[in-house]
Amino acid sequence: MKDLSFSAAPGKVTGFLGPNGAGKTTTLRCLLGLVAQTAGTATIDGITYREIENPITVVGASLEASGAHPARTARNHLRMIASAAKITDSRVSEVLETVGLTAAADRKVGGYSLGMRQRLALAVALLGDPKVLILDEPANGLDPEGISWLRTFLRHQASKGVSVLVSSHVLSEVQQTVDDVIIIRSGSLVYQGSLHSLTEGGPAEVVVRGPKIDQLVLPDGWSSRSVGGGETVISGATIEAVGRAAFEQSLELHELSSKSADLEELFLGLTTEESPTQQSVNGKGGPA
Amino acid sequence: MIALIRSEFRKVFSTKLLLILALSALAFMLLQIFLSIFLNPPGFEDINRLMDPAYIKTIIASAGSASVFLLILGIVAMSGEYRNQTITSTFLTTPVRWRVIVAKMVTFAILALVLALVLWFISAITTMLLLGTQDSAPFEWSAAFEILGGTLIGLVLYAILGVAIGSLITSQVAAIIIALVFTFAIEPLITVFFLSVGKWLPGNALNSILQTGGGGPESNASDLLDVPVGVLVLVGYTVVFAVAAALTTNRRDIT
Repeated sequence: MKDLSFSAAPGKVTGFLGPNGAGKTTTLRCLLGLVAQTAGTATIDGITYREIENPITVVGASLEASGAHPARTARNHLRMIASAAKITDSRVSEVLETVGLTAAADRKVGGYSLGMRQRLALAVALLGDPKVLILDEPANGLDPEGISWLRTFLRHQASKGVSVLVSSHVLSEVQQTVDDVIIIRSGSLVYQGSLHSLTEGGPAEVVVRGPKIDQLVLPDGWSSRSVGGGETVISGATIEAVGRAAFEQSLELHELSSKSADLEELFLGLTTEESPTQQSVNGKGGPA
Repeated sequence: MIALIRSEFRKVFSTKLLLILALSALAFMLLQIFLSIFLNPPGFEDINRLMDPAYIKTIIASAGSASVFLLILGIVAMSGEYRNQTITSTFLTTPVRWRVIVAKMVTFAILALVLALVLWFISAITTMLLLGTQDSAPFEWSAAFEILGGTLIGLVLYAILGVAIGSLITSQVAAIIIALVFTFAIEPLITVFFLSVGKWLPGNALNSILQTGGGGPESNASDLLDVPVGVLVLVGYTVVFAVAAALTTNRRDIT
């Protein structure tokens, strides 16, 4: 981890993105006082996690590899955490209801599906009614229905004024949910800001489709490439300008759309450039 | 701290670990009492050892055999948090980690105290009833009360020691194997060949407190430490292990 400083605003969902091995989990574990950093400090609102009085009432966290005893029920798992933080048992029932586990609350966690375990981890995070939620890969192992539920859940938390930080190695998983993104690569920050301005920074392209689209005469500065199926991608032009050009040249159009939001490509571009750190790790990793 | 101890009690009573180990300790103790009363070891066939009040005291002290079960209880409870990864939520809830270890030690000390009391009572009653069927010296409650203190102290310290070992060696399997190999192989070996060293080891310190003379028929209680010294030695081991556990746990990365 190199100098990494970022903020997650109240009432917003912030995506913490980076490929596997970029240091997301380590960063979060440092922040939560579980892993010691070799140098520097990891603080939340200026103080370290270990200095927070009754921390789970301030910061709720759900981390990968935070398990429950397989023979314990979800309710008992939550109750034992609740009593250590002086949280009432009625709050345990509340969070079980919030994450939709009430019906399964008295079953042993060992029989839970991955999705149910994720919900239990979210229930643990919510237990102290914290103002900050830190969730490490909460969408991992969720089915499409679960992801949709998670999306609603995160939006709801943000709407209550909670700062939500969600890590993921798959942008598309969180794309529809997050307001801001933090992107790291090999432990360094490569982008921090709104998702919107990230896409604005990318190259603008316009997709057009039509029976005689290859006859479209392009003004200077535009370039086009055919992608098959009568579809052409034009770069260097706005969607309005392409529509006007086609209209002026009396060409029939079946599709006219903006292709600026190829986030996945932008994300890959930001995160897969070879870095010196990765090379040195690879160098050391060879068989001796 | 009260809240943390409450949390630890909830942890213990939401799994079957305590029940299984308590029943195992009870079963083993009863087996030991039955064998001691109804069988004579080879070489002792011609003597009725039950006429010896000191031997009867040793039988009542069978409650002390629960020590190894309490050691395992402490080890499994603490290392189990690492094994099942509940340690993450435990330390997220209580980031000042030594408090968790102290709470767990207090919890298992209380459980060990209650269990020791129950086992001592069952041991005394069983011995009394079984001796009634045999030609023996009379059962004396005074003898039972003489070993009560040692049984309580010994078992409580072993439970605390278990928690300390479980936080020092967080791999559950490794912790149990190391504890058992030490108790049943290394320590007896050292004791047989170097009693002057062996008597200072935890198992023999425990035997001196329990006043069992090491359990074997040929062993002699006079070879062991005096009771107060035995208590001090065992407390010493427990404190050293507990401090080491707190220090290493504080630095450990939880991943």
